[in-house]
Amino acid sequence: MSSDKIVVSGFRHFFQSDSGPVQATGEIDVTIREGEVVTLVGPSGCGKTTLLKAIAGFIMPTEGQILCDGKPVRGPGRERGVVFQELAILPWRTVRRNIAHGLEIARVGKAEREQTVERLIGLMGLVGFEDRYPHELSGGMRQRVAVARTWAADPDVILMDEPFAAVDAMTRLTLQEELGRLCATTHKTVFFITHSVEEAVFLGDRVLVMTKRPGTIKATLDVPRHGKGGRDWDSFTGDPEMRAISEQVMHLVHAERV
Amino acid sequence: MSRLRVLLPFGLLIAFWWAIKSGFDISDKLLVAPPQVWSSFRVLIGHGILAEYVSTSLSMIGIATLVSFAIGVPLGFAVGTNRYAARALEGFLRYLQGISGIAWLPLAILWFGFTHTTTLAIVIYTLIVPIIFNTMTGVRAIPENYILALQSLGASRLRIVTDVYFPGALPSIVVGTRLGMGYGWRALIASEMLVRQGGLGDLIFGARTFGQIDRIMVGMVIIGTLYIVVDRLLVQPVETMTLARWGVLRK
Repeated sequence: MSSDKIVVSGFRHFFQSDSGPVQATGEIDVTIREGEVVTLVGPSGCGKTTLLKAIAGFIMPTEGQILCDGKPVRGPGRERGVVFQELAILPWRTVRRNIAHGLEIARVGKAEREQTVERLIGLMGLVGFEDRYPHELSGGMRQRVAVARTWAADPDVILMDEPFAAVDAMTRLTLQEELGRLCATTHKTVFFITHSVEEAVFLGDRVLVMTKRPGTIKATLDVPRHGKGGRDWDSFTGDPEMRAISEQVMHLVHAERV
Repeated sequence: MSRLRVLLPFGLLIAFWWAIKSGFDISDKLLVAPPQVWSSFRVLIGHGILAEYVSTSLSMIGIATLVSFAIGVPLGFAVGTNRYAARALEGFLRYLQGISGIAWLPLAILWFGFTHTTTLAIVIYTLIVPIIFNTMTGVRAIPENYILALQSLGASRLRIVTDVYFPGALPSIVVGTRLGMGYGWRALIASEMLVRQGGLGDLIFGARTFGQIDRIMVGMVIIGTLYIVVDRLLVQPVETMTLARWGVLRK
């Protein structure tokens, strides 16, 4: 049995507003085991991004605590990489230099840095775009760079906040397959939030469903994995077991319509 | 062709000026003809007088720009990275922009006398406000995700300043400096006219006392020319360079 990587216990968060505190989430307990891809699906405004931000260390929880490898999270750190929905790679750096950024910060030697960057450029289908600036790329390509940058920095845990929500539907399918492969080959611990049921089931080893605001975890479903490597959409849509799980999640989410 | 289009209005102005001068037979005490201005220009150049006044004005604007940049940019960063300070100072800076540098002249003369210090103070004041203001706005326009992403890559505060804040705000800083230099140049001439310690403002105001209209006009032409030369040949290329490369930031 693999060890617990992230443990969220008794988490509750409130935001300050002009008319007093606003409850962002209900009480949440989540455990993410090492090497596991956990997806979280919930209606907008349920507090899923708040939870992710707290694990990333961008906000301090009002109540409860978050442990990473048994140590309390006190702020952002390189062991917890984050992929945002958009606007996160730097427009004044080329694709190559964006991907290398985490390695530069960690003072990784030039040879090793270049090797890692080349490998990720290959894995994420960015060959030929190495020296382009982000404004010369499509939205889908930019998200590939963002994913590659986070993977290159080699964090223990990767937190993804609806990374493909702003990408067109066709590109999204490709990106999901690529991410699935990447997760399967690198055995990273991944926490992925989305409002898409299909995406959650397709990518997750385990799917968490959240209630509407103030959100709590309503259900946890295991998604069995047959064979090695990531899933692909062709066999996923044809698989009755996957369809059944998707439907189950869909019912759970449906009940939370705002 | 395009060069011709740019020069055409200048040609028309000179033609108009010359036509009025000779058409209405205006006295040399009020207006002189272009050839007289030209010969006055040659005399001033020949005696090294013009170089003297020009170098005073140029070094004043140069020093003022360097000082304003060195103080204004860090100050803009400090204010821009602090949400509360930025909100508090925004209105104040706008207010200060309303009180032109020239309006500070009476006080500055009382404090520093008729000296270069007075002129420098006025020009730095004029230049520094747009630099602070634009640095601050540039810093504040940087998406928060850039900073959060770098923190998650393990970046230190210093690293975030060099890798995110500085390149992110640079286009804005350049714009602010260019604006400031334009305002500063005007304030400089005005201050030199009152302070009378050299510079092109001194040249044209001094020429007035002796009714040397040709000399006044030479000074005016030089003031305009130097502004264009510095702005177009020095500052604008830097602006184009930063904006073209990182243009995405300024949607």
